[in-house]
Order: sequence, then structure tokens, then C-alpha cells
Amino acid sequence: MSDARTRVEVLAEIGHINLRGDPGRGAFREIAERVLGQPLPITPNTVSEGGHRVCWLGPDEWSVVTAAGDAGVLLEQLQTALAGEHAAVNDLSGGLAVVRISGADSRRLFARGCTLDFHPDKFVPGSCAQAGLAKASVLFIHTGGRDVFDLVVRRSFLDYMVRWLRHAGAELDIEFH
Amino acid sequence: MQINRLSQGGRIDRSKPLGFRFNGKRYQGFAGDTLASALLANGVLLVSRSFKLHRPRGIVAAGSDEPNAIVQVGSGASTIPNLRATEVELYDGLKARSTKGWPGLRFDIAALNDRFSPLLGAGFYYKTFMRPKAFWKHYERFIRASAGFGAAPQRTDPDRYEHCNAHCDVLVAGAGPAGLMAALVAARSGARVIVADEQNEFGGALLSASATIDGQPAPDWVATVVAELSGYEDVTVLPRSTVFGYHDHNFLTLAERCTDHIGERVQGVRQRLWRVRAKQVVLAQGAFERPLVFCNNDRPGVMTASAVSTYIRRYAVCPGKRAVVFTNNDSAYETALDLRASGATVIVIDSRSGGAGALGAAVRKEGITVLAAHVVTDVTGRRKVAGVRVAQWSGDVTARVENTIRIDCDLLAVSGGWSPAVHLHSHSGGKNVWEESLHCFVPGETAQACVSAGSGNGKWALDACLRDGRDAGAAVASRCGFEAAEVPLPSASDTAVNEMQPLWRVPAVKDPDRCPKQFVDYQNDTSVADIRLAVREGYRNVEHVKRYTALGFGTDQGKLGNINGMAILAECLDEDIKDVGTTTFRPAYTPVTFGVGAGENVGELLDPVRKTAIHEWHEQHGAPFEVVGQWHRPWYFPRGDEDLHAAVARECLATRNSVGIMDASTLGKIDAQGPDVVEFLERIYTHNVGKMKVGRCAYGIMLGEDGMVMDDGVMARLAENRFYLTTTTGGAAPVLAWLETWLQTEWPELEVYLTSLTETYSTIAVAGPNSRRVLQNAGCSIDLERESFPFMSVRSANLAGIPVQLFRVSFSGELAFEVNIDSRYAEQMWRLLMQAGQEFDITPYGTETMHVLRAEKGFVIVGQDTDGSVTPVDLGMNWMLSKDKDYLGKRSLARKDCLREDRKQLVGLLSEDGKTVLPEGTQLVDDTGAPIPVPMCGHVTSSYFSACLGHPIALALVAGGRARRDETTFAAMQDGTRVPVRIVSSVFYDAKGERQNV
Repeated sequence: MSDARTRVEVLAEIGHINLRGDPGRGAFREIAERVLGQPLPITPNTVSEGGHRVCWLGPDEWSVVTAAGDAGVLLEQLQTALAGEHAAVNDLSGGLAVVRISGADSRRLFARGCTLDFHPDKFVPGSCAQAGLAKASVLFIHTGGRDVFDLVVRRSFLDYMVRWLRHAGAELDIEFH
Repeated sequence: MQINRLSQGGRIDRSKPLGFRFNGKRYQGFAGDTLASALLANGVLLVSRSFKLHRPRGIVAAGSDEPNAIVQVGSGASTIPNLRATEVELYDGLKARSTKGWPGLRFDIAALNDRFSPLLGAGFYYKTFMRPKAFWKHYERFIRASAGFGAAPQRTDPDRYEHCNAHCDVLVAGAGPAGLMAALVAARSGARVIVADEQNEFGGALLSASATIDGQPAPDWVATVVAELSGYEDVTVLPRSTVFGYHDHNFLTLAERCTDHIGERVQGVRQRLWRVRAKQVVLAQGAFERPLVFCNNDRPGVMTASAVSTYIRRYAVCPGKRAVVFTNNDSAYETALDLRASGATVIVIDSRSGGAGALGAAVRKEGITVLAAHVVTDVTGRRKVAGVRVAQWSGDVTARVENTIRIDCDLLAVSGGWSPAVHLHSHSGGKNVWEESLHCFVPGETAQACVSAGSGNGKWALDACLRDGRDAGAAVASRCGFEAAEVPLPSASDTAVNEMQPLWRVPAVKDPDRCPKQFVDYQNDTSVADIRLAVREGYRNVEHVKRYTALGFGTDQGKLGNINGMAILAECLDEDIKDVGTTTFRPAYTPVTFGVGAGENVGELLDPVRKTAIHEWHEQHGAPFEVVGQWHRPWYFPRGDEDLHAAVARECLATRNSVGIMDASTLGKIDAQGPDVVEFLERIYTHNVGKMKVGRCAYGIMLGEDGMVMDDGVMARLAENRFYLTTTTGGAAPVLAWLETWLQTEWPELEVYLTSLTETYSTIAVAGPNSRRVLQNAGCSIDLERESFPFMSVRSANLAGIPVQLFRVSFSGELAFEVNIDSRYAEQMWRLLMQAGQEFDITPYGTETMHVLRAEKGFVIVGQDTDGSVTPVDLGMNWMLSKDKDYLGKRSLARKDCLREDRKQLVGLLSEDGKTVLPEGTQLVDDTGAPIPVPMCGHVTSSYFSACLGHPIALALVAGGRARRDETTFAAMQDGTRVPVRIVSSVFYDAKGERQNV
């Protein structure tokens, strides 16, 4: 039965590269995709999975989620390769935390504090969305695993977020790690 | 003794007796009872005193429309005031009391009001207590004490409440015959459905109906449908959930009562707020039966006919033995049959000359006397109905009548026809229109994606309700893109009815202004005479009459009395009801608790606490925290039993004389880059950004379009086309949004990308004459001497092998460095620096010392020394304003008002006694003898005791202040004294700025 329980855990060693650029202009998209080794998701609120996890944040903004150890190299590669383009690459790893929530009650937990529709037909694997959860802003990523979600939270809000999740999940079958 | 309990029938469980207390007295009811049905079962008729006249009152209705039985349930911190006894499910040990009546219900002192009721007409309070004006303070205490109903709990609510967001294709409000059919069709069509009903069980009127559906008793049909609905994965079935608000964009709010029916202090969520976004909405809330308006129609024992039927059929309680049914329509004939079946004697008084249709025959067959073309004009008995006076009536409302018959009875069931519950339709912005043939308001044009169905849509007959519900379900399902399922219409038993006769007030033997009270709104004691008085006094608009007479206020919001009231108003104005219209219904449909509104946003979750990466160290070292926005910043670091003042004095001196260290991580940080970044920043900031060399920093201010200072901060040019901007702590998010707004909406041609780095980097300020040596001790990879790293520049470096950005900037006026470091390593770096500074007794300091140090230097804090009405010129920052370019707010600075010589300007203040620390916000006055209102010439914005200088200092905004150097003005202290203060320069310390430049 432990499989059925919903788990909440804070993941360590995750890197986050923020990438800005106009995919319709110059060689930005081609260069970015070559360096990343995978496509940039162009459809709003979708994720491209490959060596990294690339999340669409806006028409000219992506978040590349990767192993913390790879972020530095990736930052340099992207900056160098995109030097001739109008682009911006920043390593935001220091300011973001990832909370992984997995299990059957995940969606019910989100519904307590987020206005988005998390129905399995609407927020499908490979979706991502920036929204408020309770009083923090969060990037929700449906990782593709069954009922596995990564929540990217600003580090100063992490303590609040975990407190809120504990409170909101009190009635649900949830274990915290 | 449950003297009124029937031996069989009803939806109660006789095997589960429940004990409860009402006004301290013990009673017994059964599982399935409401508090109201249990009280009636026990023969308790008197449950309340009325609001103004304190007349004895009994239970009138069986649902949320109940105006009289307003009770306080529970005790202590978890009590809920003003619940309708008709909606309170009984549980074992329930404690309830009346919210009116002192010292008791049977003897209520304020009932004297009733004796003097001719003096207490509409507007009594307005007329009486307005004059003399000075007396209000005496009146107020008594009026406040007598106002309102129940009492709010005094202590913190111990219960758990929560919010829940939900989305659906179709939300069905109300689970009676129409709502259930609509939900069934939508569910079978494949839609995501939420179906909510305020009652504990689905079924609405079917739970107390005699009708059959598809040959089975109506409640059985309900059970079948509910079972099917519950089986769908995408159907959410919510009993005990009131749809209390219909807001814009098909957003609806529901209050679910999760544990209130079990008891007090029950484990788990007590109530839940559902925030539902629905593509389509079906409004199927049913209809309310109107009472009839005659003399003394408020006596305990006068009830709506449908309520009597509900108590008999659903709760197995017959509230009387000798009943009179008074009606202007057919539906009450069912009640006559129900009463008869319960063993009561019944006489029907029908205002219509033709009487009822098929039901009339059934009633007569039972041997029940029907007096057609008769009306009940008056009720005898005071705490309880004793009898009625009956007159023959021609149908002319203006005629006087003569009472010809007197009938003894203990129950009077009345029916004045039905009013659809159009409340949610009204919330949604839809209009309600008068339907002449039905004599009621029905939902008119809809303003949102919704459909009304069933009796809430003016369909009275059961088969019509079922059909209307089915059609509504099919309509909304197909609007959502589903192929509507073909659902056969269940067959319902039904009977032909005769048309109702409009009867808004019953004629009396006397003039309506002289006869005994004919109540329209029970809860507010609004009578026919009150409405007539309002019209005589000149009120014509229905909204004004409502507010003058209190018609339609209170917990029931006019569910019972409104339509009668509108019709009587129309008669007085000699207008059609449709022209008089109704008042506007607004959320909430029924009262909701504060707890469900607040949800989990209480206590430590009221507002997020944002913590810096070094927060734990601060905590470990005993720092109290100052709340800045949502951030918790260390305020000061007390040593031993130091108080704030001692700690701050020590921290200030340590920083000025050796070295201090501060966590400045909450500053906003923005990466700005792109080919047009210089052009963009030139437009935003007031100084010449383009002249900055790579590797240099500059202080920048930005103005609103009104020319007022909006934010400030240091910026650094990291590369030709890349800047690192900092903002104030509170400005981090709004400034980024402000910049993005200009980029995205006004100047999209500018190629600039902005990225927030506020959380990515932590900032550690090391300030004081020994700061350079601390960094050197920490193993800094670059030369920190003035020649290679001058004041106001930036360098990339390694500190103890960790990459950092070093800023040589100063907010204290001392030699200082700000270390910007990846937040993951911030605490490690902080400890390293503490260690490196040990030989200099490096002193951590908090926001208070930071404030003192900057004030000694005359550095302003945007938002403290400015308030959105201060220009850079007012601050004496003319040198920051470039003449060579345009920037936001520049034009506004040339407005006549911004050029006034007597604008409030930033100055320093010194208390002439050398010791008074002026409270921040203190007003300054020049003429201490001026009469009230005293002209004020300025106010104190920042004020501290300066340990370095040995005396207090203050910054202030003073009208024409810069020209008043060395003049004396006066600080108006709270205790009424006036402290003389000298106007001085706003820079108190190191005016030449030499210390930061070494």
C-alpha cells in the first residue's frame, strides 16, 4: 500500500539555466537546440525531455532544468555559442528549489492552493505551468511519470511552501521526506 | 415528550434517539431531524423574539428561508451565531439557544416595544436618535446592545477550514428534480459535473413529496439517480454545500459544511470553500413559498403550507392537531391532505371563488371543509395560535371586510404562491423579469453561461421540472462540446391545477394603517403599515424603501417576504410590480462563516515568511527579525542582555571604528542585457547611464511618470551591453514588472532581456575601515587597493576559492564592500568572513544599525523618507538629473507644482535639547500658539539616536526647508509638548565623503 501514498520531498543538486531569446529570429533557436542537444519547446506550457528538461516559460523564455553539476558548463556553452545573438543566459540554480510530489493525492493537494486545472486530461505528462500555489509562485512540471510532479520554488519561499504543503496535506495520505 | 411526532413515516431513524438542549432545556429528537423539526416534534412553538418589537415568534419555514428560528449553536470558541434552526442537523449533545429575548423567551422585557409599536414605525431610529446630536453617545450604547442577533465567539477559532479549487464543464446548483435530471444528462454525456445542494440529502422537494416518479416513490427515484451520479469518476457530488455566490466569468463559490452535522470540535476540516470555475452552470435552486399578509400573521403556529408538509412527510412531525389551511393556490391542498393523513382536523380557506382543481376534489373526498372566496383576516392567541377570524371576500383588495366566522385552531398553514429562487441568477448579472401569468419574478436574460431550470425557472409541476432539467442538462452538455445523451423523461404523477389568485395583502376590518400588524418581513418586523408610511414620506424607489423599512435584510435576505413587499409597494405607488422591480440580490445566498472565508490562510500561513540563505545563522545568534515586505531580516544582534538601543549603539560604533557585516540579500537584483540596454536604462534612470564605464557602479533613481521618486539602487555595468541592477527590498518585484511593462508594451523595439537574480545571489555587506583587510584575510583573489579597485566599481573575484561579484559601494559612508555570491554558498561565505574578521572583532549588524548609519550620512530610504509625493529635487538630488537626455518623469518635474519653492524638502533636524529622539511621523509646527487646526510645516521621516555623534538625529520633509537652514521649528509631541528643533543639513557625518573613498 505504500505505493499509493503521496510523497513530498525536496530534491537536491538541481541546476536551473534561464534562457531568453526569440526562436523566430536569427540563429538563436538552432544554436540553442544544438547546444542543448534537444528541441526547445515552442508550444506554450510544454516540456522537452532529453539530456535536460527544457520548460517553456514564455514565447521567449525557457528554463533548462539539469543536474547541478552540469549547469556551469551548460551556461558557458550557451553563452559562448549565443554570443552573436540577442539572447540572455543566466544560471539561476542558487535561487531555486525543487519539491517533488508524487502519488495519487498530488492533484488534490494542488487544488487546495492553485487555481489551475490539474485534471489528468488537462495537465498531461509533459506539461508545465507557472502559477501561484497558496501565496508563493511556482513552476509546476508534470515530469511524465505517473502522478509525478516537480515544483520549482524560489528558495526564500521554500520553508513557507513546505509548511503549507504539510498543512494542506493533513487530511490526505501524504508522507514527507 | 415528542408530542407531535408521528408514529410512522418520515426520513428519520427512530432507532437513533439524540439528546439536545435548547435554551438550557433538554429534549430528544432522532437522527435525520433538523433542530427545527426536533423542536416542533417536542411541541416547542416559541423559538424566538422578533428583532424590533420582540414579539413571540415560531418556526415558519423548513429551509434557508426561515426568518424567525435564528439560533446560536455550540459554545465557546467554536460557536456559530445566527444559524437557521431549519438548516441545523441534529446531533447528540447539540446545544442551541435563541439569539433574541432577555431575560427569557416567554418573558422578554423588550416586548414592551410591541405595546408602543405605533411609535416604532419605519425610520424610527433615524427620526428619534439623530437629535440632539451630542446625545448620540448616550443612545449608542443601548442601540448597539439591542441590535443584531447572535454573539460572535470571543476566542480564536480552533477549527480547521480549507479552500479547494475545482474546474468542471457543468456545475449544477440544487439537486431537486430539475437539478438531478440536468446532472444526469450532463454526466451521461461525458461532462465533468459538480452537483451541489445545501441540504444533507439530495432530492430537494422530492424528499417530502407525495408524487411518484416512474411508478416509484420520489425519494427512491432520487436514490437511484444519486447512486448513478456517484459512480462517475468525473462527477463530484456535494451535499451540505451551498452555492452562495455566482461571480464573474462563471466563477462560483460554495461553502461545504463537512463536520457541523456531527458535532463540535470534530477532527478534520470543519468547512470547506469550493472555488469553482465552470464552463456552464445549471441553476436549479427551486422556489420559496410566500406567506400571506394578514393581521397577526406572525403568531407562533403560522407556517408556510409547504413547510408543514415537509415536517409531516420528511420528519414525521405534525405541528398541530386542529389546522386551518389558508391559500390562494392549489399547492396547499396537498398540505391539507398531509394534515388529514396525520390525524389532524383541517379546514381550507381559499381566497379564490373557484377553489382548486383536481386536488380540490381529493380534499373534499376526504371530508375536508373548503371555504372558497374567504380569507383569514386575523389571528387570535399571543404566544401561540388560538384561532383565526375569517371573512368573505370578493377579490377587491381595497375593500373593507367583515369577519363572519371564527375558527379555533392550533396551526395555520398559509400559501401565497411561489417565488423562484432567482438569487444566483441575479448574482451572475442576469435580470429578473415579472411573469404576469405566474405572478412572480423569473430569471430573464442571462449574463453568463448558465441556464435556469425547474421551479426556479417558474415550472411548478413535477413533470415540467423534470423536463426542464433534462433540457437544461442537454443544452449545457452540448454547449460544452459533448453530444447530449438521450435520457428518457421519467413519468411523474401530476394533477391539473387552477390558476392562483394574486393576494399580496389581505383586507382587514380596519384601515391597513390602524389594524393589528400585518407582517411582510418577519425578521425585520416590517409591516404593511411601514411600507405605506415610507411611501407617504416620499420614498418611491424600491432600493430606498428597502433601506428605510429594512425589508429584505437579515439572514434570510427577503427570501420569504420580498415579493409580497414589492407588490404592496407597487399598490401604494399605483404602479405595476414589473415597474417597481426587485432589489438586487448579492452574495452570499445564505450567511457563510468567516472561517470558511479565511481557509488555511491564518496563523503562520497568513503571509509567507521569506528567509534569506543566511537566516539560520541569524536565528542561531539570537537576532530578532524585522518584517520587511514578506522578508524576515535580522533587526539587531544583541549580546548578553542588551536591548535594541544598546545593541545598535555598539553595532554602529563597531562598524564606524572597525568593521561590521550585514546580510543585504533581500535587495532586488536584475540582470539587464541586450544591444539596446543602454538606451533602455537611459529612459528609466535619471542619470547618464551611457557614460558609465564597464566595471563601474552608479547610484540610480527612477521616477514614476509623475516625476516622483519610485525606487533607487546601485547599478553596475558588467559589460558593454550588460548591467546588474539593484532595487530596494520592497521594490524587487514591482520594479521588474514596471520595467517589463515598458519593454513589452511601449518600447517593444528595444532589444533587452531582464532576468531576476534576487534569489540567485545573496549579498553580504562588509563595512568599516577594516573591511578591506577582512576580505584580504579571507583570501581575496584580486587587489583591493584604491588604485585598482576604486570606490563605485565592480570586480569578479574569488573569495576563499568561491567565485563572487565584489561591489565597492557603501550604504554606511565607510570603506565597504558588498559580496554577491551564489545563494547556495552564502552561509558558508558568511562564516568565512566572520572568521576572517575575528581579529577586528567583526560585528554582525541588522537593519536598525543599517538605518542609523545611512541616516548619519543623509542617505534616504525610498518608502520611508519618500512617500510617492517626493521629487528628486525635493531630496536635493538635482545632481542626479541628466540634462542631456529624456527619462520617465522628466517632463513632470517641469510642472508648476514641482517648481514651487515651498515644496516639502529633505532636511536634517537636531533637537535643541540634544537628547529628544523624535518619534518618526512627528509633525512640525512653526507657531506653537496657533489655534487648532494648527498649520503644519513638515514631518519627521527618520529619527535615531546616533551613538557616533552622541546625540539624536532626524531627517524630515519641511516646506521650503533648504532655505531655512539653522532656523528653529517645533516638533509636536504626542503628549502635547513642543520640542524645539534646529533645521540643519541632512548629512550629519563625514560631509565630504572621505571615509568611503580610502
